[in-house]
Order: sequence, then structure tokens, then C-alpha cells
Amino acid sequence: MTAQEVVARIQQKLADGGIAWRTQTVDTFKAGRPDVAVRGIATTGMATLDVLRRASAAGRNFVVTHEPTFYNHLDQTSTLERDTTYQAKLQFIQDQGLAVWRFHDHSHMLRPDPLVAGSARVLGLTPYASQTERGVYVVPETTLRALAADAARRTGGRAIRVCGDPEMKLTRIALGPGYGVPPLTQKVDVVIGGEASESGGQTAYALDAMALGHARAVILLGHMMSEDFGMREVADWLRTFLADLPVDWIPAGEPFGAPRA
Amino acid sequence: MRHPSRREFLWSATSALVAAKAARPSAQPRGVAAAEIIARIRDKAGVAWRTPSNDGIKTGDAETLVTGVATTVVATADVLRRAAAAGRNLIVTQEPTFYTAAEDGGAAAADPVFAAKKALVDERRLVIWRFSDHWNARKPSEPVSALANALGWSAYRQADVEGLYKVPEMRLDVLVDRVRTRLHLRGGLRWLGQPDMRVSRVLLSPGTTDLASTVARMPRADAVIAGEPREWEAVPYVLDMRPRKGLVALGRIASLEPSASACATWVRSFTPEVPVEALGVGDPYWSPAS
Repeated sequence: MTAQEVVARIQQKLADGGIAWRTQTVDTFKAGRPDVAVRGIATTGMATLDVLRRASAAGRNFVVTHEPTFYNHLDQTSTLERDTTYQAKLQFIQDQGLAVWRFHDHSHMLRPDPLVAGSARVLGLTPYASQTERGVYVVPETTLRALAADAARRTGGRAIRVCGDPEMKLTRIALGPGYGVPPLTQKVDVVIGGEASESGGQTAYALDAMALGHARAVILLGHMMSEDFGMREVADWLRTFLADLPVDWIPAGEPFGAPRA
Repeated sequence: MRHPSRREFLWSATSALVAAKAARPSAQPRGVAAAEIIARIRDKAGVAWRTPSNDGIKTGDAETLVTGVATTVVATADVLRRAAAAGRNLIVTQEPTFYTAAEDGGAAAADPVFAAKKALVDERRLVIWRFSDHWNARKPSEPVSALANALGWSAYRQADVEGLYKVPEMRLDVLVDRVRTRLHLRGGLRWLGQPDMRVSRVLLSPGTTDLASTVARMPRADAVIAGEPREWEAVPYVLDMRPRKGLVALGRIASLEPSASACATWVRSFTPEVPVEALGVGDPYWSPAS
């Protein structure tokens, strides 16, 4: 089976579930040959050079990545063509016979959204999902300090950032994927996501809420500590209809905090 | 020549008889309106004023007589309270005050935090003026110069690459400690790279650390001190570089605090009538690891 045929199977599976393929989408081949014979599939939060090396070594030559390969949302490479980092990565993909394909827009259309489900699962929130509000989890009362420590322990995140009173009590959590950190309002106590701009938004709101006597907080896990785990859910999903191919989850991992081998 | 505001003119006219004998003619102006200080800043900025831009009065009356000026990265409720307590009723801010560029509160528009902040601004009769696009357009870059100054590196600026500083060689972990200490950071500081990697050529990229400028300059640097690098852009780009390089992310707010201080110093230089000071936001984050 070629990489293009695997993509056709994914598109068919989505269509069977009522998700039509979009004409405008970033879910396209980013590098390598779509007609390469697939020996195995690797799913990942982001196809970093390190992930590509591990995929290649494991014989997983079709890499399904949630985030870009070439450092921008549209994977535009015209301004990168003379850059040695880009050149080396592209060369590695070609030399190793890899194909890299992005699965972003359509993955978020699945229900449940595997990126949110994966984050909820690693954080231990799955049993607490609200029956009426998507992305909201109602947990037994705890403190922000305990919740954040638990998130760090469960994800292995070394650079989790928390804005809020560590001793604040909370029960209602809104969870979003990656850059989709939910808005922080009075409807929830804390929002958890990957990354967010500080120009306006959740951090400024949490600072104001604290100063004005409202207990609100934001936990930023980091983009990979938010979405890497969702691509494990995607690997599980791919196995349900691609039983003839090995499918591995190869996480990009926490980029921050400690030396990488 | 200073042009008095309408309110100031009226006040001056009605009290002219009293004032004329009490003070020397050129000393002790009796008040300066926010609009006038803003006009003066625009004039001194030395960059063509763009329309539309993010800069402008976001709340308050332009004719308010200013008793003091506070500069800040974000006019948080805490900053506004401290400003009001110190009589700094003109706030010059880098970032939005009401959570969106449109200053409309966004998803929080209907809730009590937004309402309480609005009430704080209204009750204390504060004027909030956003000064971001034009301050950041000044050359050389004010945020870069200010960050270098805060790190004690002003003398090491390299002329050929914007934002590049050639500092005495040190280990990456030593650099991280220096940054943490000098900028009073808590959990907002994140970094990647090998702790024992030697760094000397350090790129300063406060605020938005965009991909294009990172790709253009990182090949000449050993490490970058970033403000807000997107984790699908500059972060994985630096992660993929060989030989490996370092990245130290400060957070947008923390990276721009020295710039807000520099702005206060600059405004003070041409605003002798009232006190001008910078009010820090501080690192918004703590880390569950520490």
C-alpha cells in the first residue's frame, strides 16, 4: 500500500463517519513521495528531526504529524529554501524514503476530538467529562497547586506554566488542544491548553480575576504536552481500519527543560 | 510651543488675574491634558503615524488633566490600582487592557471581572492609551535595546545583525540563571538546549519571536532569548538546528518589561510637568516543578 492509498483509506473512513474532505486544508503531503510503499506508520504531535530519525530507525516510513514539518502553519517553504536547517530536514526525509503527511484539520473534526480526548486521558480527566458541555470536566474539589502538580507528573511536562492563586479551590475545568486554549470566563474555574498569546487573552484575564477577587486560573501545558498525546489516540484509531500495517505513536515530547540526548 | 487644551485654557483664563502675580510667566504650567502628552509622544516618536493601528486611547477622556504617567506592558487591574494610588492617571500600555485588540472583553464581555475592571477605570477616571505599534517601530528596536540593558549587555551589540549580541562566552545553564536573576523570572522562563553548551553570540528577540526573523538570524547565533515564540514555529526550528542551539523563552510580558521601563525614561525626558514611572506586571507564571 502506498502512502497515498493510506490517505485514501483515512478519507474514506472519515466520509463513512460523515466528515467530508475539505478543499481548503493543511492536511496534505509535506515532504517525501506519496507513492512510497508504506512499511509502517508513525503518528506524532510534530514531525521534528528527532521524531523523523526515530520513525526511520523503527521502519515507520509514513509519518502522520499533527503540527507542521517546516515551522509554519501552511508549511510554506519558499522562504526556507536556502536555509540549511530546512535543507537538512528535507534531505533526511528524501534519503530515508519517508513520506510526511499532516493530519490536523480533519483530526479535530472527529468526535470526540482525539486531541482533546488524548489530553484528557493523560491528565486523568476522562471520567469527569461533563455530559452537557463539550471540553468541560467537573472534578472533585482540589487546589490549583495540586492540579498543576498532577498534570506535570502525568504528562512529564517540565515547562508547565500556571497563572493563578496556587491555593484556589476548583472543580470546573475547560480543556482545549494546542493553541486552542478555551476562553477563561466565569463559567469555569480553570482553563488548560497548550500555548496562548499573552497579548490579551487568558493570562491577562487570570491576573485581573485574582486582583479583583475572583478565583480563576490558566494552565499552559506547552503545545506538545497538550497535543502529542492526542496523536496516540489517532494511532489507535488508524489501527482499527489499517490492520495490515504497523502503527506506532512516536511522541515529539517535551522540548523544554532538560537536555535531550 | 505648548498648546494648552480647552479645559486648561478656560482654567487659565478665569484664574489669569490670580495666577499672573503668583507665578513667573513661563514656569509652573497649571495642568496638562492627556491629549497633549499623547500628541507630544507622537511627535517625539519619530515614526510616521499609521492608520489604522492598535495605538490610541482605549478608555477615558482625552481632556483629563494628567497628574502622572505610568507605562506598563499590560494595564492589569493590579497595575491600574497602583497607578491610581500614586496619582498616575494616564496609563501608557503596550498590550490590550480588555482582553482583545478591539478592547471589547471578548468571551468575558458579560462577566464580572470585565465589569469590575471597567468600573475601576471609570471610578478612578483613568485614561488608557495604547502605544505599541509605533513604539516598537522605532529604530534601533527599543524592546531589544532595553532587554540588552537589563541583562547588562548593551556594550556587546553587533552592528551587522539586528538584535545580535556577542557576550563573554558562558555555558547555556549559566546564561539561563543570569536571565532568571536579572529579569526576576519565576515559572515563565523556559529553555531548551544542552546545559553545558557554550554560548557567546546571543540573539535578543523580545515580544513576538516570529519565524522569519528567527530563520534569518539564528544561523549567526548560538542561542536566542525569545519573548513569545510559537511552538510550531521558532521553537521546533531551533530544536531542529544542527549543530544544536539554545532557546530561552521569557514570555511576552516578561520580555517587554524592560521596554516599558525604557518608555517611561523616554517620556519623562520631555514631560517635565508630571511624574512618569514604569509599573511592572511581573512574571505571571509559577511552575509546578519548583
